[in-house]
Amino acid sequence: MLNRRTWLSVLVAFPLALAGCQKSTPPAPQETPQAAKPAETLNAAKAQAPAPTQGKPLTIAYSDWPGWVAWEIGIQKGWFKEAGVEVDFKWFEYVPSMEAFSAGKVDAVTMTNGDALVTGSSGAPSVAILINDYSNGNDMLVAKPGINKPADLKGKKVGVEVGFVSHLLLMNALKAGGLTESDIKIVNVPTDQTPQTLKSGTVDAIVAWQPNSGAALREVPSAKAVFTSANVPGLIYDVLSVSPKSLTERREDWKKVVGVWMRIADFIKDEKNADEAAKIMSARVGLKPEEYKPLMKGTFFLDLAGNQKHFTQGDTLESIYNSTDVVNQFQVSNKVYKAAVVIEPYLDRSLVDELAKAKN
Amino acid sequence: MARSNLFAVRKELPTQVRLMLVAFAFVLPLVAWSIVSYVPFVWHPLVLVENAGDTSVAGSYSYVEVGQLIEKEAFDARNLELAKAGAKLARGTPANPIYLPAPHEVARAFYTAFTTAPERTGDKWLHESLWHSCRIIFAGFFYAAILGVPLGILCGTFGFFSKLFEPFVDFVRYMPAPVFGALAVAVVGLEDEPKIAIIFIGTFFQMVLVVANTTRQLDLALLEAGQTLGAKNRQLLRYIVIPGILPRLYQDMRILIGWAWTYLVVAELIGEKSGISAFLYQQQRYRHFDNVYASIIMIGMIGLLTDQVLAFVGGFLFPWEGEGTGVARWLKSKLAKRAQIPKEKARAQERLATHPSPTEEASP
Repeated sequence: MLNRRTWLSVLVAFPLALAGCQKSTPPAPQETPQAAKPAETLNAAKAQAPAPTQGKPLTIAYSDWPGWVAWEIGIQKGWFKEAGVEVDFKWFEYVPSMEAFSAGKVDAVTMTNGDALVTGSSGAPSVAILINDYSNGNDMLVAKPGINKPADLKGKKVGVEVGFVSHLLLMNALKAGGLTESDIKIVNVPTDQTPQTLKSGTVDAIVAWQPNSGAALREVPSAKAVFTSANVPGLIYDVLSVSPKSLTERREDWKKVVGVWMRIADFIKDEKNADEAAKIMSARVGLKPEEYKPLMKGTFFLDLAGNQKHFTQGDTLESIYNSTDVVNQFQVSNKVYKAAVVIEPYLDRSLVDELAKAKN
Repeated sequence: MARSNLFAVRKELPTQVRLMLVAFAFVLPLVAWSIVSYVPFVWHPLVLVENAGDTSVAGSYSYVEVGQLIEKEAFDARNLELAKAGAKLARGTPANPIYLPAPHEVARAFYTAFTTAPERTGDKWLHESLWHSCRIIFAGFFYAAILGVPLGILCGTFGFFSKLFEPFVDFVRYMPAPVFGALAVAVVGLEDEPKIAIIFIGTFFQMVLVVANTTRQLDLALLEAGQTLGAKNRQLLRYIVIPGILPRLYQDMRILIGWAWTYLVVAELIGEKSGISAFLYQQQRYRHFDNVYASIIMIGMIGLLTDQVLAFVGGFLFPWEGEGTGVARWLKSKLAKRAQIPKEKARAQERLATHPSPTEEASP
């Protein structure tokens, strides 16, 4: 009997203890949107106003890519507050960040222009309101000795994550070398496992982005980057994609966010801030600042002028429209989705234009 | 003690021997790891270049530079090139791949991980992250137990519930829990909830089957005796089934909580990254394997500690089962001494605890 009673008391005590520790962890003060929700929807309903600008913070899911980690500068320096907009940045793995956006749990997500189409084809439309950067060398084709240019890939095995941006880069490398996909043998390898795959010798080359491409170069010192995104600047743009609903309802707030980005880009572009920028950004990903600098080099950050330049129609990769067209075709031919997506709704340069006008 | 006694079948070993073996169980892998790490001629397939020699000499291996980890063959080939040119040779020391850091590197990483303040304003200390992870595990496991244990007992007792639930549970338990991550985010949000949901999904279905199975192993004669005395179904459950299976149920929970831990790393990368897994994954991405090993050792230690504490408590809750840890037995004998119970009695208790009396075992 005594034993049973002890057992029972354990049973009773356990949930209490748990409840206690759950209570002891209130979400950080800026993370109270859930608590505020009912009251707010009520207010919104009462006022019949679809745009409560003083509402809950905008939520943005961001992940580990230098162009997006740069948001950290604005976060840490309090620039969003200065701009009069409250933004709750949530730190994600890349794929889960897009899943959270698809599920409607965040207002915006950082992704590539190609992935924006993929996310949209599965039912979560988005609008890119600004371009953070384009990859300018961070994505690389890393090959073992004997392969010095893309044309040397003929008959070789290449490890790449099929259907993703690395694959797209590989196609461009092949084109540059006068080859087609049937001239090589593709081995489907998750990007974060490419360094050890190259090292193991099962493939002759891999395609990956940073930090995986850098790790491959370090761990296989004889290997060389024979083709990089710097050879095709503008093939991969990294953007801030907002849900159409949030953009409609909180346009002014998003404009402020775009404004903060321009401030961040200006800050990064100024040489004398290099150390401080690297320090803030490396802290986000758990690296030392000096380890982070090389990753920033392969990223071409776009400021206001840069956004205006690349946010235009054109028939080279300098235009994000053209770049998105290219990736659209690529994704159709790789059966990522069935039919080409109409890309215009995914790109909206109006906020950038308004900011430029306000500046002049 | 004669050697043959050490290998006696299903006999408790003397305390000293037991403790020594337990220590060995941990020391041996550590020694093996140390040998592989510190003895230069064991494994060490690579060379850490300390001096690249005369770098002006051209050759197909001229990429060799200070600080590189390269294959022994490449290193030798480079030195051959240098020797042919009559130039200064490269020097280096044998090294292992970065995927296997040495024990002292991991120990240092372990220490610094706890002592370094979070670099980023707003980030957590490592011990806070660990505690966060523990809370995820316990919450997920708790909800699984709240539902899984009663359901398991019902399934194990009544054929009706067994046929109603078990086939589907059996079907779902083969599904990889992490796949439900995106769904969990869509349904319950971004913060701790989807992580708890994954732990729940990973544990609950196993739990129902394990508990049902444990319940089924209860001696049927006990239930028949109850029925003979006129017990109703509810009374059978309350006075026979539940008390009868409690000790084994407790053991099941011990094993299943370990099961819950194995889902932690996938769970914590769902939604907003958090806990020890966020640290582990980030460090792995940037190939800081000393930190990676340090954090998996932390997870192992927490798991082992939880298990030992549960076993220890189990020894007190169900002394007749003779389970419990060596520490528990040792402590119990100490406590017995302190309570000034004669030594013989303490020993007798211990004997009783480790060898249940045959009558109890065989009682109908």
